[in-house]
Amino acid sequence: MTSHAEAVHGGHEHHGPPPAHKSSRVDARVLGMLLFIGSEIMLFGSFFTVYFFVRVVNPDAPSEWPPPPYEFPVFVAGINTAILVTSSFTMHWALQSIKRGQRSAFLAGMVITFVMGLAFLLTQVIEYLHVGFNTGDGAFASVFFGLTGLHGAHVAVGLTLLGMVIIRGFRGHFSPEHHHGVELPGIYWHFVDIMWIVVYSTVYLL
Amino acid sequence: MTTTQHEPEQVEAYPEHFEPPHGPTWRLIFGPGLVRGVWVAGLFFVLGMLLVAGLRFWWGWDPVWLWDVILPIAGMVTAPIGFLGGIGAFDYWLHYISGRPTRPEDHSGHGARTWKDYFRVNTDHKVIGIQYLVTTFTFFTIGGLMAMFFRAELAQPGLQFLDSQTFNGLVSAHATLMIFLFIIPAFAGIANFVVPLMLGAPDMAFPRLNALSYWLLPIAGVLFLASFLAPGGSFATGWTGYAPLAEGQPLGQTFFNMGVQWAGASSVMTALNFLVTIITMRAPGMTFWRMPLLVWANFTTSLLVVIATPFIAGSQFFVMFDRIMHTSFFTPEGGGYALGYQHIFWFYSHPAVYIMMLPGFGIVSEVISANARKPIFGYRLMALSLVGILFLGFSVWAHHMFVAGMADWLRVPMMITTLLIAIPTGIKVFSWIATLWRGRIHLTTPMLFALGFVTMFVIGGLSGIYLGSVPIDIAASDTYFIVAHIHYVLFGGSVFTIFAGVYFWFPKMTGRMYDERLGKLHFWLTFVSFNATFFPMHYIGLRGMPRRVFDYDEAFGDLNFVITIASFVLGASFVVFVYNVVQSWVRGPVADANPWRAHSLEWQVSSPPPIFNFDEIPQVVGGPYEYGVPGARHAVMRSGEAAREVQHA
Amino acid sequence: MRKGIVQLVAIAVLIGVLVTLVAVLFQWLPTSASEEFDRIQDIYWFATIISIGIFAVVAAVVVYSVWKWRVPLDDDADGPPIHGHTGLEIIWTAVPAILVIAIGIASAVVLSENGRAGERPLQVNVVGQQFTWKFVYSDYGDLTSGELVLPVGREVRFTMTSVDVIHSFWVPNFGQKQDAVPGIETTILVTPKRTGEFAVICAELCGLGHATMRAKARVVTQSEFDAWVKEQAG
Ligand code: HEA
Ligand code: HEA
Ligand code: CUA
Ligand SMILES: [Cu+2]
Repeated sequence: MTSHAEAVHGGHEHHGPPPAHKSSRVDARVLGMLLFIGSEIMLFGSFFTVYFFVRVVNPDAPSEWPPPPYEFPVFVAGINTAILVTSSFTMHWALQSIKRGQRSAFLAGMVITFVMGLAFLLTQVIEYLHVGFNTGDGAFASVFFGLTGLHGAHVAVGLTLLGMVIIRGFRGHFSPEHHHGVELPGIYWHFVDIMWIVVYSTVYLL
Repeated sequence: MTTTQHEPEQVEAYPEHFEPPHGPTWRLIFGPGLVRGVWVAGLFFVLGMLLVAGLRFWWGWDPVWLWDVILPIAGMVTAPIGFLGGIGAFDYWLHYISGRPTRPEDHSGHGARTWKDYFRVNTDHKVIGIQYLVTTFTFFTIGGLMAMFFRAELAQPGLQFLDSQTFNGLVSAHATLMIFLFIIPAFAGIANFVVPLMLGAPDMAFPRLNALSYWLLPIAGVLFLASFLAPGGSFATGWTGYAPLAEGQPLGQTFFNMGVQWAGASSVMTALNFLVTIITMRAPGMTFWRMPLLVWANFTTSLLVVIATPFIAGSQFFVMFDRIMHTSFFTPEGGGYALGYQHIFWFYSHPAVYIMMLPGFGIVSEVISANARKPIFGYRLMALSLVGILFLGFSVWAHHMFVAGMADWLRVPMMITTLLIAIPTGIKVFSWIATLWRGRIHLTTPMLFALGFVTMFVIGGLSGIYLGSVPIDIAASDTYFIVAHIHYVLFGGSVFTIFAGVYFWFPKMTGRMYDERLGKLHFWLTFVSFNATFFPMHYIGLRGMPRRVFDYDEAFGDLNFVITIASFVLGASFVVFVYNVVQSWVRGPVADANPWRAHSLEWQVSSPPPIFNFDEIPQVVGGPYEYGVPGARHAVMRSGEAAREVQHA
Repeated sequence: MRKGIVQLVAIAVLIGVLVTLVAVLFQWLPTSASEEFDRIQDIYWFATIISIGIFAVVAAVVVYSVWKWRVPLDDDADGPPIHGHTGLEIIWTAVPAILVIAIGIASAVVLSENGRAGERPLQVNVVGQQFTWKFVYSDYGDLTSGELVLPVGREVRFTMTSVDVIHSFWVPNFGQKQDAVPGIETTILVTPKRTGEFAVICAELCGLGHATMRAKARVVTQSEFDAWVKEQAG
């Protein structure tokens, strides 16, 4: 309720509630996003837990991981990692640009970020098709598809948010004063990137 | 039946930017609302179906029309999303995304003028609170009726009139509805109504998210109930849905897997909202150490929800993947680990029992201090003990697995942490009874329920201590002793506090007073029949009757018969409550703004509160429980004071 | 005030006595048939004594306060503004802490005693399967039986697993219970101390036949046991 319009419309006198007292310096929406991310981390945590159970606790866990005939496409995923990490920087650049009022740099940054995210997702789909095993091929495949799939779903959500920013960006809704709508998806996108690094290290490298 | 007073010009059904649909028919079909919800849900169901079938056709998988996959996607994901879109839960965000003009401060969805407004997407926390309560009590009735059915079956050993699938299905659905659609959201409902008022805030931090959280609930409930129509019957693996049993079950189990996701999403969103509201929207002067304990309770509960709930989401996803995508998270044949499920499940579900208790602690603190006319004893320690339970609550999950075959070395540490929870809980119990000491005790209905709670919860907590001791648990686990524990903490605990809360804030919510005599009748009937129903269960459990059985040893026949009769009386006692609430809501005497002469902020505004709660945000100047302190005030109301005068005139 | 305290204590004692009667007049526990259950029952009584005390205190204060300080609903006055009392708060933090730690230590001791295997226990492998039990005596050439027969006085080690879903092996009179989990092996020790017939019950929901997943356990003398083994093998 404390929010101000990203771009003010109509702007007529509105009879509403008294503005709430701001009892914290933290912005409500940023706090909300951070708490949401906390909850997301726990969701990933449950997936890492199940990974831990099948690979470490389980007395029948295979000593080699993944079990011999199968291999994880470490290299392709490595490239994908590079793509995603770079996109975090372009995202940051886009946000800084709109803060400085450089609209075209902002838009360019957003579009590049979006395209890189999309490239990541497509690579992952192709990787799934060529990986050489399927969900039914054992617990190692379960955690592989589970963790990368969960992350992929988060990339998809992130892309939706970025898409939203792009649409509104082209319509001129953001300005140096009003850029919360960029900042929040940005925070989420950084989270998705960092999570990928963790997923990549545990699933592919460990 | 309105909850809020209005100055009509504040509310426009359609703000100027959202083009209003043309004629009334057009508006009915295409305007946000239940009608649009239903047809868009149908549309999305078909879309989801085509999506699955199309993909399967494309990959060349056979058969294309595999209902075990189509139903989970189309029926449990896309159709509910369509429903939410249809009733209008996403309208604002869709406008925002598409870049059309929006007005964040738009209050078109605020307040209720007629009863019909309760069936719309409403962003007013007071309306949402009532929506929650009415919905959850509906599910309580359904879940309770299920208990009546299987209790009737249990009156004698052997199968009488149910079959084993139906029996297990009823027990599972009973517990699932009670937990996910009654206790947890009923507390969210009370808190929704009360917390923003107590904080001196005009609404929750994210009113639209708040509305969305509410509308996810009926989806979960409908899924749980719809499972009874699934081929093979409803889910029948208990509310715990242990793998690997759950993985070989018919389609009904998927309804459980997905229903839990919707209910869980709803609680996470609400919890986020409470946390942000409590952190950022407190009135000036409302420091953390001046917040009423109900707010503290919901603060800690919300932290539990945000941190723990993703784990149950995970556990149900894994089971569903194992069922549908043939993964092997928990199936040993494929290299999975069966006990993993229980660890992940209980990492949520133990904290969940505190999610189902802490808000009740909050309610009881409010009720006892207002009705004993004394400050709550040891306010700070009361708040800190909540925080203590919050932390300890995460370190005890394996006490549900003492006989499950988990690592032996985990048993003793988990036993110790489990037993330690008695300390902060004990602090709360002793502080409540110390608050009674030398008070001026008003035995109103909410007070009766609060005192009933204190005594009954101690019994339930003490049986928890027995179970916390590993050797005793080895003997008592999975017997009716557990069933007795569950109901002493959940019924004698949580449900009693919900009743206390509903009676206590009834005048605030409805503007009318409930009938005190019926309320007392309700309490005494419930109190006696509750004990008659559940106390003997300790005995039959220890003597050797396992839980979740339709058939049992002849020796337990007589006691089970007595229990069944008592449970029918318990069911009947609820009818008194329903009658009291309905008839008082319609034509009870008009209530004062502050019938209990309580100090917290919600009582300083009219009953029901004005649409935006406060004309001006109050200034908080002291603690919320300064009963008997000469000249003490919790808050200065400024012009809110004037509003009260008007109401009395 | 002194009189008040006396009254309060009287109420507490009264409640305590009533609850104690409930605790001892009914036979809450099945008659023990194993040494392990004897030890568990000791803990049970220890916890019961503590529980009775605590319940009596809480209930007495509630009853006494309502009796003494109840006022009519239209009474307008407030109670004395007591905000807390540090000494009391310390007491009711410390005393429960001591009590639960005592329960914890006693439980840990019993647990480790019940889990300490003596020399050469009788080995019985238990296999759970929807909805029957199978007992395999590996000391006697994998003799397999659907009935559990045990010699009295000899420690038995049950090692269990399941071929499908989770079951739970439970003999109420032995006081011991252990889940049989597919994919892993779990164990539990029982030393039967009394001859007789007991029920083996599946305690973990395992499907539609869960309620009927029962078997018979017979504790017999050593000579009867040897005879039974011979008969089964022959
Ligand atoms: C509201 C819900 C709620 C609450 C609050 C609790 C509270 C507690 N529970 Fe319970 N529990 C459940 C709901 C709840 N439980 C449910 C639903 C199950 C079954 C799940 C299933 O399998 O279906 C369960 C099962 C369960 C088990 C597993 C049993 C089994 O399956 O084998 C155990 C074992 O340790 C346990 C222990 C405890 C303990 C120690 C507490 C403690 O928090 C209690 C603390 C309170 C007190 C002790 C009383 C007040 C304290 C004092 C007056 C101070 C002095 C006290 C002492 C010195 C002892 N519970
Ligand atoms: C908050 C939680 C809650 C509540 C309130 C209840 C309420 C009741 N429960 Fe339940 N129960 C659980 C949570 C709860 N239960 C859980 C978690 C389990 C474990 C399940 C598992 O093993 O997985 C369980 C299991 C359970 C069992 C064990 C089943 C088994 O193991 O085989 C039994 C057996 O008696 C039982 C009985 C009852 C009864 C008689 C009530 C009564 O209190 C119900 C009273 C009835 C009503 C309140 C409704 C009456 C309605 C009417 C009379 C119609 C009136 C209509 C109008 C007014 C419109 N419950
Ligand atoms: Cu096997 Cu229950
Ligand atoms: Cu627990």
